[in-house]
Amino acid sequence: MNELGSRQITTQPSDHRIAWWAALAISIHIIESALPSPIPGIKPGLANVIVIAVLLLYGWRDAVWVALLRVLVGSLLIGTFLTPTFMLSLAGASASMLALGLAYYASRCLPSWGVGPLGYSVLAAQAHMLGQFAAAYLVLIPHPALFKLLPLLMTAALVFGVISGMIAAAMIDKVRKRTDGGTSG
Amino acid sequence: MVKIERGDYLILLATALLLPWLYFTLWGDQRAGEYARVLVGAEQQALVSLHQPQTLEIVGELGVSVLEVLSGKIRFIESACQGKQCVHSGWIGEGGEVVSCLPNRVSIAVLGGEQRFDAINF
Repeated sequence: MNELGSRQITTQPSDHRIAWWAALAISIHIIESALPSPIPGIKPGLANVIVIAVLLLYGWRDAVWVALLRVLVGSLLIGTFLTPTFMLSLAGASASMLALGLAYYASRCLPSWGVGPLGYSVLAAQAHMLGQFAAAYLVLIPHPALFKLLPLLMTAALVFGVISGMIAAAMIDKVRKRTDGGTSG
Repeated sequence: MVKIERGDYLILLATALLLPWLYFTLWGDQRAGEYARVLVGAEQQALVSLHQPQTLEIVGELGVSVLEVLSGKIRFIESACQGKQCVHSGWIGEGGEVVSCLPNRVSIAVLGGEQRFDAINF
């Protein structure tokens, strides 16, 4: 087997799962990047639907993989890798995954405080916007006038968070029905 | 419809509180002053908070000037001068605003808040 000193890397079923979901998120991300946006930073963020679905179906670790792969591969395909757009996207994704992680494990420790797709989605959207805004302020435009945009951005994040949350809820229902509700873990 | 759990309500409530707070602090009027400094000539006679309603009597060159502080603003009510320009100037309350009674040498300047001007010359 190993005469040539080559190493065989075996893939787990979870690797395939993550790859499929990430591919879906990346496709949505790329389609969405073709849409014009009224204000820099405001975007529906529909790729978040996938991250929320993965979080609720398979847990936080898989969701982090999908989110980071989405940012990395998405930027490589669009051609924004290591540009300011990429930095903002990465900062937003990191902040939103941190917030989701905290909420996910907190709601697991306190079963009476369960969180569903709507809550996770709104939380992720808000954290994403805050992370992105912090990066923009610290790295790109350190001017106090930038704060005048923050209320608008956060309002947009709330609206899009609610919409993606509803889409994610519908999607999770369908996936659970198809797999007879037994794939979590 | 989407099933909403307790944690969802907590997150939505936090957002519902965060957004108005953001609008209020970032879009609100930040020019309101905090304190008023009262001078007679170049000497400081009083430094009063604009949030504490009170009436002040300041003794100037000609006599007494009466000042009133009410809900974040201050004004001259009466002054021992002839023209009463100071009284007619009315209320001031934004950072950097100044009213004075030149004959009586009494002047009030509002401190704190976002300054509209860098400097004022007379």
